Formats: sequence, structure tokens, C-alpha cells
Amino acid sequence: MLRLIVNSLLRRRWQSLATILGVALGAGLLLAVFLLYHGFEQGLERGRQRLGADLLVVPGNATVDPDRALFAGSPLSVYMDKKYADQARKIPGVRRVEAQFFTQSLKLECCSLGTESRLIGIEDQVARRLAGTSPDGREKLEPDEVIVGSELLGGIGKPGALIELLGDIFRLAYRLEPTGTALDHSILMPMESARNLAAKSEALKPVWQEAGDPHELISALLIEVDNPSRIKDVGRTLEDLGPLKVIRAADTFQRLKRLMTAFVFLLAAAGALTALGGIAYLLGHFSSVAWDRKGEWALYRALGASKPRMAQLVVGEAVALALGGALMGLPLGYGLYRLAFAQLTAQNAFPFIAPGGSLLVAAAAGTLGLYSLIGLLSAAVPAFRVAQLEPALTMAQGDID
Amino acid sequence: MSAPSQILLEAANISRTYGAETILADVSLTVRAGEVLTVVGPSGSGKTTLLALLALLLEPTSGCILVAGRDAASLSDAERSRLRNTFYGVIFQTAQLIGTLSVLDNVLLPAFLAGQSRQKRADARELLDRLGLSARADFLPHQLSLGQKRRTALARALLLRPAVILADEPTNDLDARRAAQVADFLLDLPSAGYALVLVTHDEPLAERAGNCWRIREGKVTPLARVLAVPPARDDEFLLHAVGSEPS
Repeated sequence: MLRLIVNSLLRRRWQSLATILGVALGAGLLLAVFLLYHGFEQGLERGRQRLGADLLVVPGNATVDPDRALFAGSPLSVYMDKKYADQARKIPGVRRVEAQFFTQSLKLECCSLGTESRLIGIEDQVARRLAGTSPDGREKLEPDEVIVGSELLGGIGKPGALIELLGDIFRLAYRLEPTGTALDHSILMPMESARNLAAKSEALKPVWQEAGDPHELISALLIEVDNPSRIKDVGRTLEDLGPLKVIRAADTFQRLKRLMTAFVFLLAAAGALTALGGIAYLLGHFSSVAWDRKGEWALYRALGASKPRMAQLVVGEAVALALGGALMGLPLGYGLYRLAFAQLTAQNAFPFIAPGGSLLVAAAAGTLGLYSLIGLLSAAVPAFRVAQLEPALTMAQGDID
Repeated sequence: MSAPSQILLEAANISRTYGAETILADVSLTVRAGEVLTVVGPSGSGKTTLLALLALLLEPTSGCILVAGRDAASLSDAERSRLRNTFYGVIFQTAQLIGTLSVLDNVLLPAFLAGQSRQKRADARELLDRLGLSARADFLPHQLSLGQKRRTALARALLLRPAVILADEPTNDLDARRAAQVADFLLDLPSAGYALVLVTHDEPLAERAGNCWRIREGKVTPLARVLAVPPARDDEFLLHAVGSEPS
């Protein structure tokens, strides 16, 4: 039977190829849509987990895009007095306060992906929080140690590697897991080391003349509240401390999530329509095949093919075409996804986690499975009709070759 | 006179109607191994319907068909299909070859459906060789002459060595020489043990075949009866009867 199916497809090679191409386009689009959808979902979730804060506090004069600051992790080149960190820690209901200090951007010629790398000073407690992602579980950074984002330094970024930053030598502690945010392009170092670098920087001298000694400054505060019901109260208290801007993560997260949900819905709808289009396309194709090749099917019946065998023949052809098309669609879809991914990375507009190898394999297998099912479903009605053909039709029809 | 051979097929009082029109009325006949049964009649007289009923391609409106003693009405679709595949070899009025399959694969079609294509490949080639078609084995049907198509259909009908060969107007549209070749071949089949049911409006062919029945207005009446059944012979003897012909 397999030979009959293969033979039939090969002998109608142009018709088969056209069907396979049609399926390949649909399968490729579906795969790309799924990978993008999954990347956004993961990115959003990872962004939320990474933040681990309920409030972001920046100087009142900062021009801040909350989405980019919170979820894309874009550093802010603004400064405020470090006293606010201590004051924030004293507010009732505040569980954790993390101060961050941003310095200038760097261009790493060897490994930049088109995005500038940021130097960020962090407190010891941040290093402790990140310890879970460290290969050796280290909880503290030495003054000459740095942690780098997943997209930096490439193959040479092994723990212990020496890196020169603005004339000083640092040792790489470890590299962070991908986050899909600007953190992937950031270099984290102890707060004081970052301030020392910033103080020496010729480019930042005008900033210090205006803002004061960098050792007395911070750029942002990430604040975690012990009870979600107190977030608003803590926020108001923070705003009363001085000229500060308080961004509520929950609000931003919800807003971003709504935006993302709409985007993801569009992607999911596009995927669903593609799959439905595939079914409609193949259903049309096999309905037409069932009719056009009525004489051939009737002959099979007359020569001894049972009804289930007839259905197997029709469904077999459908599944073979759908599977062939889906196979061809895999590289097509992956290429489309890589194009979109390159654009997203360059824009850094949304948090996006590139799917790993195992997910790619699962997505490819899922696409093949889905299109086998689509082939099966689209051939079900034509197969049923073919199985009902009267074998006596052969006696009445003219030659069929 | 030799003893009557085994009854392979029996139609008992079968009728077939299409709406108000009666095509066959109360037809009874018996087909034995090694016997030829010829049905003659004008076009539209119901010959093809009779053949379709005997081949289990159609079901009678009334009456019953016994296949090797079993009532066909009691058979499942799978059992009827198996009988069509292995018990019957049908030569249709037109060759009915699949245009996308080679001559060899067309001959192998019943074997494909029986899941025996590998085992029967050599037999198919041998049949094509004996029918003078070995050089055409890889051709597509549209590259064959009418006579070659008929012989391909003949080879397909014989491939699984069925018990009963049903031939519908096998010499139709053939010139006299080719018609004679096909007739010679077919009429030799009973001597190899096959039962042959021949439906034709070619009266000289029917007279040659003997055991002739006439069909008129849905009724089948005997014209002549076979008196002796020749002993079974080897296929090889009769298959060389039809030689090759130019395309």
C-alpha cells in the first residue's frame, strides 16, 4: 500500500510539489509564530521574576519609560542621593531595598550585538540574590570581579577571564542566564568599583560637577514590599521622601501584559488561522482528488480493496503530503523566526527569551505532529466518500488512463 | 463424459432493478471450474449488470449468489473485497489501467492490494513476457496500443491465479486479428482449470466458446450447453497463445 501511495505522489510530482509547498508555507509560518509567542511569554515571565521588586524609584527629573526600565532592564543615566536607600529601608512594610548605580555605556567591539554594554554597580545583596544563577553559588563579588550578561564576551567569557574596563582590569566571576532584556548586555560589578570607574571617567565629569560626588549617588532603587496590599502606601511614603518618581511594577506589569497579550493574541490568532487555512487547503485538495480520481478509486474497490483499505490509501496520501510539507516548512519557519528575533534583539523593545535547543526540537516535532493530524483531518471526509464508492462504477466508466 | 466439476459460482433467481426499470429478472445459472459460460445479447440488455452481480460488484435486488457455496449476502465488506481480490479476475469492458502506474505496476495492482507485491513481482513479469509485453513493462498506459492495454488488463486479472475469470466484451474495439488473439487466449483458460464467464455481443465468439446463454429483456435462456470439460492443463501451455504486436 505504501508503494501505491508513494507511486501516486511521485507520478503526480508537480501537483504533489505544489501541495507540499502550500503546506510548507503554512507550517513554516506556524512554527515561527509559535517560537515568537513562546519567546514573548517566557520573556515576560522572566522579566517579572528577574525584577523581584514591587516598586522602582528613580530621581524625579528622570525621563523614564517604565516598561523599558522595569522589563527591558534599560539603565537610567540619572542620579540621586544615596540617603534615599537608607530612608526607604526604614519605611514600614518594606522588605528589601536594592540600590543600583549606572555608569557610562561601553562598546565591546569583539562581542557587541549592536547594543551598547552597560556598566551597573550593584550591592552585595544583589550578588546574593543572583547566587542561584552562579555556577559556584557565590554570594559576594570581590572589588575586581564582574558578572556579565549572557550576550557578552561569547566563547572567551569563562569564569576567571580577565577583562579590561575603562583602563582597569577585572576578573569575570560568571555569566548570567539569558533574560531577554538589556541585562543580557550589561556588566555588573560591586557598587564602589562602579563608582570608582565613574569618578575617573572624563566623559562623566560634567555630570559629577552638577550632581556631586558619585560615591554619594545612586541611580535607582528596587523595592520589595512584604505585603502587596501595602504597595500603594509604601509608594506614597517614598514620594514624600523627596523629588522621587515611583513606578509600581504591578501597574506596569499589568499594562505591559495587556499590551503583550494583545500582541500574543494576534500571533496566536495568526497561528490558529494558519492551521485552519492548512486544513481548508488540504480539505479542498483532497475533496477535489476524491472526485477527480473517482475512476481510479472505484477500480481499487473492484480489484479487492476493502473500505478501510480505501480510506487508508486516501489518508496515507494526505498525511504523506502534509508531513512532507511540514518537513520542508521547518527550516523556512526557523529562518523566519531568526529574522524576527534579530529585529527584536536590535530594538530591545520587548523582553524576549530565545527558545533553547530542546524547545526547538519539541516545536519541530509538534509541527510535524500537528500537520500529520491536519492531513488526517482534511482527508477524513474525502476518505469516507471514497470508501463508499460503488465498485460497480468501474463497469460503467470509460478508460481511466 | 467426465464427472461434473466443482461449482464455483451459482446465481439463484437473481433480479436487479434500477427504480422502476428491471434490468435482470429471475436469472439462475451455475459456473463450474474449468467451464466456460458465455452470455450473449445486444447492447443494453443487462450483460454487464449480470457480470457485476456475479463479480460481487453489485448486489442483487432479490435472489442470491453463492460463491463456493456461501451466500454472498452474508459476507462482510472485507470478505467480499477479499473474494474480488483473489477469487475473481475481472476483465472490464475497457482496460481500466491506472495512468500513473507503469504496465508492470498495473499488473501488480491486485497484489499491492493483497500485500503480496514483492512475492508476485516475478509472476507479473512472467505473465507480461508470455503476453509479449515484457518490453513494455515500464511504459505508462498512454504509451500502449489498445491491444496491449487489453493484454495488460488480462495479465492483471490472472496475476493472483483466481478461480473465476469474468470478461466483459473482451474483443470490443479490437480489429479482427487482435480480437482473435485475445479470444484464443481466453478460450484456452478453462483448459487450465479456470472458470470463464464471457459476456459479449460478438455471436461468432460466443459460438466458439460454447455453453452459450442469451440475455434478452432481463431474461437469460440457454442456447447451447457444454458437453465435456477438458482436463486441466498448465498455464504455460495456453499463455503463449497470444504473441506480441506492434504498438
